[in-house]
Amino acid sequence: MQLTLLCALVPLFPFIGFLVNGLGFRNIPNSAAGVISTASAVASFVVSVLLFSNFLSGGSQPFTAVLFDWVSVGGLKIQFSYLIDQLSLLMLMVVTGVGSLIHLYSMGYMHHDEGFGKFMAFLNLFMFSMLLLVMGSNYLIMFFGWEGVGLCSYLLIGFWNKNVSYGDAARKAFVMNRIGDLGFLIGIFLIINTFGSVEYQQVFPKAVELFKAGDSTVFWITFCLFIGAMGKSAQIPLYTWLPDAMAGPTPVSALIHAATMVTAGIYMVIRSNVLYTLAPDTLEIIAIVGLATALFAASIGLFQNDIKKVLAYSTVSQLGYMFLALGVMAYSSAMFHVMTHAFFKALLFLGAGSVIHAMGGEQDIRKMGGLQGHIKITFLTFLIGTIAISGIPPFAGFFSKDEILMHVYEHNKLLWALGVVGSMMTSFYMFRLLFLTFFGTFRGTKHQHEHLHESPLSMTVPLMVLAVLSVFGGALGLPEVFGFNHQLANFMSPLFEHSKTVNALVGAKSALPHSTEYALMFVSVMAVALSMTAAWVLFVKKANVPASDETLDGMTKVIYNKYYVDEIYQAAIVKPLYSLSEFCHSVAETAMDMLVESTGKLVNVAGNGFRQLQTGIVGYYVLAMVAGILLFAVFTLRSVLF
Amino acid sequence: MLSIILLSVSGIASLFLGFNKSRSLLMPATLLFLLVALAVNLWDWNVPFTLSSAYNNGMMTVDKTTIVFSAILLVSALLVIPFSQNYIDRPQAQPAEYYAILLFALVGGIMMTAYDNLIMLFVGVEILSISMYVLAGSDKRNLRSTEAALKYFLMGAFATGFLLFGVALLYGATMSFSIKGIADYTNANVGNLSPLLYVGIVMVLIGVLFKVSAAPFHFWTPDVYEGSPSLFTAFMSTVVKTAGFAALYRLLAVSFTGLYDYWAMSIAVVALLTLVVGNITASHQHSFKRMMAYSGISHAGYLLIAVTAFQNTSQDAILFYSLAYSVATIAAFGVLILVADKQQGSEDFSAFNGLAKNNPFLAFVMTLAMCSLAGIPLTGGFFGKFLIFSSAFAKGGLNWLLIGAILMSAVGIYYYFKVVIAMYIREGKTEKIALTGLQQAAFVLSILLTLLLGVVPNLFADLV
Repeated sequence: MQLTLLCALVPLFPFIGFLVNGLGFRNIPNSAAGVISTASAVASFVVSVLLFSNFLSGGSQPFTAVLFDWVSVGGLKIQFSYLIDQLSLLMLMVVTGVGSLIHLYSMGYMHHDEGFGKFMAFLNLFMFSMLLLVMGSNYLIMFFGWEGVGLCSYLLIGFWNKNVSYGDAARKAFVMNRIGDLGFLIGIFLIINTFGSVEYQQVFPKAVELFKAGDSTVFWITFCLFIGAMGKSAQIPLYTWLPDAMAGPTPVSALIHAATMVTAGIYMVIRSNVLYTLAPDTLEIIAIVGLATALFAASIGLFQNDIKKVLAYSTVSQLGYMFLALGVMAYSSAMFHVMTHAFFKALLFLGAGSVIHAMGGEQDIRKMGGLQGHIKITFLTFLIGTIAISGIPPFAGFFSKDEILMHVYEHNKLLWALGVVGSMMTSFYMFRLLFLTFFGTFRGTKHQHEHLHESPLSMTVPLMVLAVLSVFGGALGLPEVFGFNHQLANFMSPLFEHSKTVNALVGAKSALPHSTEYALMFVSVMAVALSMTAAWVLFVKKANVPASDETLDGMTKVIYNKYYVDEIYQAAIVKPLYSLSEFCHSVAETAMDMLVESTGKLVNVAGNGFRQLQTGIVGYYVLAMVAGILLFAVFTLRSVLF
Repeated sequence: MLSIILLSVSGIASLFLGFNKSRSLLMPATLLFLLVALAVNLWDWNVPFTLSSAYNNGMMTVDKTTIVFSAILLVSALLVIPFSQNYIDRPQAQPAEYYAILLFALVGGIMMTAYDNLIMLFVGVEILSISMYVLAGSDKRNLRSTEAALKYFLMGAFATGFLLFGVALLYGATMSFSIKGIADYTNANVGNLSPLLYVGIVMVLIGVLFKVSAAPFHFWTPDVYEGSPSLFTAFMSTVVKTAGFAALYRLLAVSFTGLYDYWAMSIAVVALLTLVVGNITASHQHSFKRMMAYSGISHAGYLLIAVTAFQNTSQDAILFYSLAYSVATIAAFGVLILVADKQQGSEDFSAFNGLAKNNPFLAFVMTLAMCSLAGIPLTGGFFGKFLIFSSAFAKGGLNWLLIGAILMSAVGIYYYFKVVIAMYIREGKTEKIALTGLQQAAFVLSILLTLLLGVVPNLFADLV
């Protein structure tokens, strides 16, 4: 089976890269380690492209590659197999494509780090886990990858673990994700309990057969799965780990915490679209959580002064938009935004990395300014990324975001209005970031000024490739209103076959008249342009610089401090937990100790007794054995004798 | 069945190799013999098995089950041999004899897995046992080794008497030595069975339970395991046990299926007793090696649960468990041999103090082996226990035994982790221990097998 082999190769390449670099990182020279891991990522990309072309030429039939039987417990049989269909192929292209570029970039960015080999090994391990997550043909393999990417995220956030607060950030991400994972796991157990299988291709048809829309079983399944997505994709209330995750090296922020891992939750919902369509209540919750996250995070982003923090909140906010799209059953629009977002957010993060590299590690935008003349490539590509994320036509972000907003408008006009407000905030904080960093006069130290330099080619090439993708990525889904055929939506439509039988609205063409669509576009573009102009006036024309932390007051201070959410969590959840644990420690533990220790003592006494039976004298042993034999014989023969 | 002939011939050949002044040829030659025997053993895999494929007028049968059991024996031997390096180098050692006897012992073991006739069972048991008596005493100048050999021989002779007497009684009752013949007789005379048969079963069971060191016939085990050179203890606790369980299950499954109600309760009680004695006494030892002896007893208890369950899945469970247990036990003894060599022969837990510092690889191997023996997930031992427990659960009515077994596995975690704590947390000095290439290969193979069994159990569980 050639196709099965190809499928097996995709995750295998990064895994081999991980093994080589992971086992030999003390012995392999940095240059070789970088080449090995980047080559393995690229190899996996090439195989993915082959798979894709094979898929298209083969009539777009989904294909399951069974590698081996994994677990069989009673009636439940779980195979280790990959599912190749429209969704997994799209995710494959994003993960391996963007992943390869970021591997390449890391070769330049992390070059001087003493743990370089280890870093590249972790990146490979991440790729491997992420590929399992998107390729698996059942929920268990997805969960395997889900946990794997969580582990890598933990390892990479805390990569510079000599800094204590970075270690704390890693732990926070891990704990927040565990909360979500618990929900996800319960969801999987419910699926096993309800359907007797975890295989997508068995669960989904059965779901349509067994349940009607609105059934409570499906509600609980989808709700638990969504809790998992909240953790992994940083939605309210589990989002606070993502901004802290910026403690990791910048390529990590780009790959894991912007382009791929955090979209796992969206992937999972699209994958389970049948279940979600059957649970309109969950969808409503998702839409509200998504929108709330989008607005909340965007408003925090308005006042942040750390270049990576701004991007982090922007990521949280964009993820909110994707969930908003899922909530109104615009599954393919969410996927469209996942892809364009992967391009421009990876670009922005890598650009930010390049800026930090030039500034010698400085991340505070108040100490930058006027960089455009010094690092031209970075500036131009960052500009493209900013335009793309703000949703200005004809860049990629415009098409995907506008499509989401259009579907939201059809669903509920209030949600749409709030969505437009969110996108105004997006363009404001992004242009604020751009203007403060690249325009005006330089505000850093003299030493930094002399140090300013453009990054090496291995860093700028990924920037340029991603910039091109950010400009033209929208071509994947040019809308019908401009007279095009929406390619992505058409490509993905077989994924929603089952959903369509439940709710005809899924994947249906928009019922809005073209004039309304034009009007919606006009409104959102004008809104974006307005806030962009406001940013220009404030930060270029008037050359304002955000005040230092101490002089803040009122609402600004509240928002700058991220609405004190971390502090609220600390007071409302962590502190009570501590006191509960203190209580358990003092009262319950004493009781437990007595119980455990007395068991231990009992074992000890018994052990001592048995030990003394073992005297070492053969005569005694024979005697004991004869006694044993007599007992055994009498016990066995009891039915015959008596 | 060619493998029996091959092993016998190669055993004699390695005796001739001993005439050579250079001892360096012996180990590679033995490994080669074993590999050839393994290949020959697996060669029969795809041969269709019919009655006519029974060898030598119904003395032995080869089928997939016997092939897999034999393969486990051969793989265990392959893993043990690399650690004989330290023994070859001793001036008073007689390596040619050791290797020859090991090969002969395997012949006995394979006969025990494949016998069709009680005479063959007896011959197999005796070949294996007598080889073991000799190897237990192979460290001639060491008093404890000599003592171990003598004890083993005395007690073993006693048990052999029971086995032989039992076989004679079975013949008296059924007029047949063939295990199928006995089955035919018992099936034909249901309700009208001779008392001789019942007594015969009891005696044969006692003989075999002694060999697998089930309580209350286990008294020899700790002294013999501790006194024998570690290399042969590793061999004894894996090969003898696997062969013993293969023989026990074959006898019960072929001859006495119809009498299940008669023997099952006794085996269940013995299983529980074995578990309690093995685990509780193991938790109280200072010597790692003696702990491993009791741990060996306790694992016999788990395997007896599968025998009691007597389901379709039980045999697979025994196979799986034997493999996982053998691999982990040999890895643990391998580390012990290397460590004790550096610690003036000390085999206590304290000999492992601080091992992880200079020998992270050895510490890792030991940790994984302990996890597997304790039944921690992602290792083979976990799925071994799982398969055994689930087959007993499927049988039903054995919940009291299962609860006991689960409690006892909790005790197991305590004493298995004592060595892990010693290696990683306690302070101590062990210089870097050099491994030969073969020893490294054996460790790596054991790690791979343990993890493979633990992560993709179905690769092995569906084999037979």
